Amino acid sequence: MRQGRLVLLLAAAIGLAALPSHASKKQHEAAARAAKPSPQQAGLAEARLIEVYQLLAAAQSLQALEKAEKLVRDFPSFQLAQLLYGDLLALRKQPVRTLGDVPGSLSPESAGNLLELRAESQARLKALLERPPPGAIPSEFVSLSARNKHAIAVDASRSRLYLFENRPQGLALVADYYLSLGKSGVEKALAGDLRTPLGVYFITSNLDPKLLSDFYGAGALPINYPNMLDTKRGKTGNGIWLHGTPPNQFSRPPRASDGCLVLTNPDLLRLIQTVEINTTPVVIAQQLRWVSASQALSDAKPFQAALSAWTQARALGDMTALLSHYSQDFDSYGKTLTQWAEQLRAEQGKITGFGLELKDLSMVRWTDANDTMVVTFGQVAGGSRSGPTKRQYWMRQGTQWKIFFEGVVK
Amino acid sequence: MKHAAKQFRQLVALLLLATMGLTNSVRADDYADALQLMRAGKLAEAQTKADAFLSSKPRDPQMRFIKGVIQRDTGRLNEAISTFTKLTEDHPELPEPYNNLAVLYAGQSQFDKARVALEMAIRTSPSYATAHENLGDVYAKLASQAYNKALQLDGSNAGVPPKLALIRELFAPNVKPTAVVAAPAAKPAPVTAPVTAPGPLPAQSASPAPGTAAGPGPLLTAGQEASAKEVEAAVLAWAEAWSKQDMNAYLGAYGKDFDPPGKQSRSDWETDRSNRITGKSRISVKVEKLVVSGDGNTATAKFRQDYRANSLSQQSRKTLTLTKSAGRWLIVKETTGN
Repeated sequence: MRQGRLVLLLAAAIGLAALPSHASKKQHEAAARAAKPSPQQAGLAEARLIEVYQLLAAAQSLQALEKAEKLVRDFPSFQLAQLLYGDLLALRKQPVRTLGDVPGSLSPESAGNLLELRAESQARLKALLERPPPGAIPSEFVSLSARNKHAIAVDASRSRLYLFENRPQGLALVADYYLSLGKSGVEKALAGDLRTPLGVYFITSNLDPKLLSDFYGAGALPINYPNMLDTKRGKTGNGIWLHGTPPNQFSRPPRASDGCLVLTNPDLLRLIQTVEINTTPVVIAQQLRWVSASQALSDAKPFQAALSAWTQARALGDMTALLSHYSQDFDSYGKTLTQWAEQLRAEQGKITGFGLELKDLSMVRWTDANDTMVVTFGQVAGGSRSGPTKRQYWMRQGTQWKIFFEGVVK
Repeated sequence: MKHAAKQFRQLVALLLLATMGLTNSVRADDYADALQLMRAGKLAEAQTKADAFLSSKPRDPQMRFIKGVIQRDTGRLNEAISTFTKLTEDHPELPEPYNNLAVLYAGQSQFDKARVALEMAIRTSPSYATAHENLGDVYAKLASQAYNKALQLDGSNAGVPPKLALIRELFAPNVKPTAVVAAPAAKPAPVTAPVTAPGPLPAQSASPAPGTAAGPGPLLTAGQEASAKEVEAAVLAWAEAWSKQDMNAYLGAYGKDFDPPGKQSRSDWETDRSNRITGKSRISVKVEKLVVSGDGNTATAKFRQDYRANSLSQQSRKTLTLTKSAGRWLIVKETTGN
């Protein structure tokens, strides 16, 4: 009877019974064999946590207790697992009314910790209950080149990071992880505002964990905040990283960082082994909009027309037509539009008559108050095998797309 | 009153069980002797008794169990753990060794091990109440540890380990597991609780039939019976004075020939007793299973003394030797144990 009450409560609160089995049997068997969790078992701790919830929902509280005990043995600093384990133990003695039914009065700090753990539990469950539609991709990924072997999208509303593999037939979701964001939420604008930026970013480097304090855990992958759109908008701050967790905290609450994106160490290690510097795009959105790949591409048709027109003007050396694609407030690492026009003219001699190819073109769209497109390509003049990797930021002004930044990717 | 009656029933049950479960009454006496020595705090003697017995019957589970309790009481916890562990291996059907193993583990804050042991105790004997109660406490403790880790609290302020009930005697395997000794009551009995003597010589009853007096005491003649009632009244008055912390009445219960324990002088002993007794916020002394024997002006009162003071609870066998002087029975000798 006691168990029945808890199960009802949990099931009502989170609709657990409908939860798909997240972790495969094979994964669990592998986990059972492995004495210590390895970096390859990213996401495994969460899968095991969810399995405990599912057992509880199925009124199998003894098996749930058994699994929870093994989970906290493998991940002693997984606080949410400890909380659930505590509930399952307490359940042997008395009814448990809510997740983290901690007896007695708590200090304000502990009460705060408890609320954060409940928030983490909700976030993890929500992301697992509300799965992306099969085959869908975030609308931002208009088109990725074969060089973009992977792509990352973060849904802040779900405290979730989605990892995609770029396969010949398109983007495939290969993993997704819980993550923590800024204490004050998202939409970073100012240095020190404790917010995580929203937008299209790229991983810029891979920092050696040996050079970092324990606080960052398994390592760190900085992203290029502020990007060109952020700079244009006067946003400040820097040092936004994807990083791991300290040894005493397996995972952190949904809102925990000063603006960084914090993953558990096994999950971060998987990312470190996966991503490519300067190439892997990281889209951070308040809420991702999932569309079919063909939809994302067809929505961007007007932009593709503008890009083609720019390419043609560039190839032909039609300076009037070419400059019509640039915005008045254009800025390339401090160069104004006038200065940029000079440079384009100077370069034109090498291009005109030989044709121009945009190699490994990728287009990532970002829409908020403005509609922007981040385009990366290798600018290869006819007859050459390679050229510089260039990045352009375009913004839609009415029906016209205009370039407000262009430069070589450093 | 209720408590004393309950304890008495348990004691009787215990005696009955011990007799029922064992084929050899000599053996039962050995157990009883070792247990009494243990209860009286004469642990070294109890140990000697147990060892002597075990040298001829090394596999005897009851005495091995008692030995484990003695080891635990003398602070040799690892030896006690080893004794009980071996008992669980040789007699996996007995819940008591698992229970005591759990008590020892819990005392060392090894709650995971305590839990496993208690779950084994319950598996062997699903209705084993003590193990259920202990397991509940261990679960609560483990839950609190998990909560502390979850909320990143400092584990050191998590409070004292739970007081789990240790089983002092092993019951015969064919005995129903419901007849277990309850966990010691946590609260001291109120000072005002009446002192009772539910022994074979009921103090209130006017004329007990001599033939009904059971137990180790000899049967009494009618004259002896009258004396016995006087002795009994004196013992109860002594216990009541102690409970009420009435030092005049308490010290007045001892005759001038009283031989203080050790090499203390009478006045040192009186000072010592006064300090000990008036230093407590509350005391309760109950006399149970009182048996009086004697002849003429000398009597021996043997009973089980249930002493509670503040948070301490101590049960021991006590023997008072009394002599009649100027119409009053006064204590001349006081010994603990048999």
